[in-house]
Amino acid sequence: MLALAAAGLIAALASGRPELALLSLPFLVFAGAGLILAQEPHLAAEVELDRTRLLEGETVVATVWVRNDGQDRVEVELAPVRSRYLTLEPAGVVAVDLPAGAEARVAFAAHPRRWGAHAVGPLVVHARDPLGVTTWEGRLGRRLHLRAFPREQRLRELVAPVRTRPFLGTHVARARGEGIEFADIRPFQVGDRVRQINWRATARRGAPQVNERHPEHSSDVVLLLDTFEEARDQAGGTLDAAVRAAAGLARAHLARRDRVGLVDFGGTLHWLEPAIGTTQLYRIIDALLASDIAFSYAWRNVDSIPLRVLPPGALVLAISPLLDERSTALVTDLRSRGCDLTVIEVSPLDHIAPGPSAADAVAYELWRLQREALRARLQSLGIGVAVWGRDGTLGPALEGVNAFRRSAQHAVRV
Amino acid sequence: MLVGLASLVIADAGEASQLAWLGAGLAALSLAVGLVAGSVTAVHTAIALLGTMFLLRHDTRLLLAPPYGAGLLLIDDLAAQTIELRGVSQIGPAVIGARTGAALAVAAISACAAAAAALAVTAAPGRSVTVTALGALAAVAAFAAIVRSARRRYRASDGGEAPGAPSPAAPSGAPTSPAE
Repeated sequence: MLALAAAGLIAALASGRPELALLSLPFLVFAGAGLILAQEPHLAAEVELDRTRLLEGETVVATVWVRNDGQDRVEVELAPVRSRYLTLEPAGVVAVDLPAGAEARVAFAAHPRRWGAHAVGPLVVHARDPLGVTTWEGRLGRRLHLRAFPREQRLRELVAPVRTRPFLGTHVARARGEGIEFADIRPFQVGDRVRQINWRATARRGAPQVNERHPEHSSDVVLLLDTFEEARDQAGGTLDAAVRAAAGLARAHLARRDRVGLVDFGGTLHWLEPAIGTTQLYRIIDALLASDIAFSYAWRNVDSIPLRVLPPGALVLAISPLLDERSTALVTDLRSRGCDLTVIEVSPLDHIAPGPSAADAVAYELWRLQREALRARLQSLGIGVAVWGRDGTLGPALEGVNAFRRSAQHAVRV
Repeated sequence: MLVGLASLVIADAGEASQLAWLGAGLAALSLAVGLVAGSVTAVHTAIALLGTMFLLRHDTRLLLAPPYGAGLLLIDDLAAQTIELRGVSQIGPAVIGARTGAALAVAAISACAAAAAALAVTAAPGRSVTVTALGALAAVAAFAAIVRSARRRYRASDGGEAPGAPSPAAPSGAPTSPAE
């Protein structure tokens, strides 16, 4: 505007036409008035969340209030800073007019597109004087953290561990002892309780017979989350589903009094030692919220995992899209060391579509066959593989694994 | 508003009406491009074209120049406001009204000031080196005063800023996209 006024004045002087000076005068007055009227704004602003914890898919209201503590009217454009997977509605910038001493409140609907730790704030604020000649910009308010917990699937069927711990749980142990599940009948021995006598068998055999039972034990379960690589499309990625599966499995196993640990195995390595209880569930979910794909060339193997994280006889549930060679090597290594291992394959096929050309279709089919071959190789090593697609539920996949582990093909070499 | 200003010129352009038509068309095109592309430079080009077209009028009386200049100012301000609010998804009820009202008030005052200046010029139409030098000095002084005021304001804001107050920045129409 000043440039226009200056150009007009110079042209008027050069051409000797006073009209141009008169045309420029309003611009000069406008710029001068704008600068005289413009006072530094005194703004206070804050973001408030109606809650800081929610399940993914839910919406939280982020209320932004901004107050003009100055003496002049200001036009304020504000936009809360947000993290990558957080959507705000209205999206973008909101403009409000604030007379002196006035306060405005704007409600944003914050919708996490996936689980994780999100953040809202501070506010990016642009303030303009009443004529719009001067603009101030800055950041106001605090950064608020929002935790979106993964939606878990309710699991009725879990992978039955081969070994159990001699502590009360819900898994029927292979050993015989005090329990509910019937195991066998044997002759009475000194020290057996009378209530254990099977009177029908005793009547048939003519000598006292007692029932033997399987005790209900708990087990150690280690969730191995593969964060080397993921397949992602607009609707989500394999890591999203893997975290949901891990959270669901942790909750279900902890409810059955198992000790559950977590290993986040990828570009960065994080772990939680196995433990029981609700506190451990929250620890695991907190650790899962922080998990992300970290690109790395580092070759990691089972030696990278501390021994105390993998107790002997623990059931290891590896949740992986099986996209990275390092994760495949890890599961085969674990199995070769005698680990009771099951792979929950979060299928990347749902996230990757074949290309448009015929060659692309052939390549896609080859890749799919390679994956099937890899799965067959793992199964030949005695590793149960549960394939979990985007639209499927995890329960039936785990039932398939249990069937595989019970079948004659599976020789558990533990 | 652009059509109204252009028709004022075209109606009195006489033999230069074709040139006036051409200028009006170019100004309209430049303004449209500015609004669509969010370019303030294109808007200013349109304003400069419309201002230059004013010289095509045969009527050399100066009293039409102040309202014409105020009209140009309003076009410029409304276009700038449109460009600034392009990225805004939600606009408060009083935002446009308050600023447009302020711009209208300043345009009216500046039109009056320009009219007073026009009257002064008309009263003493003789051109001399002294008058021209005085006029030039007055223009430069006014311009310098405004620039100085702006610089002082920016420097003061840069230094002792109140805690939490936004810091000043060069005026910009581009909204921030705050996704991290």
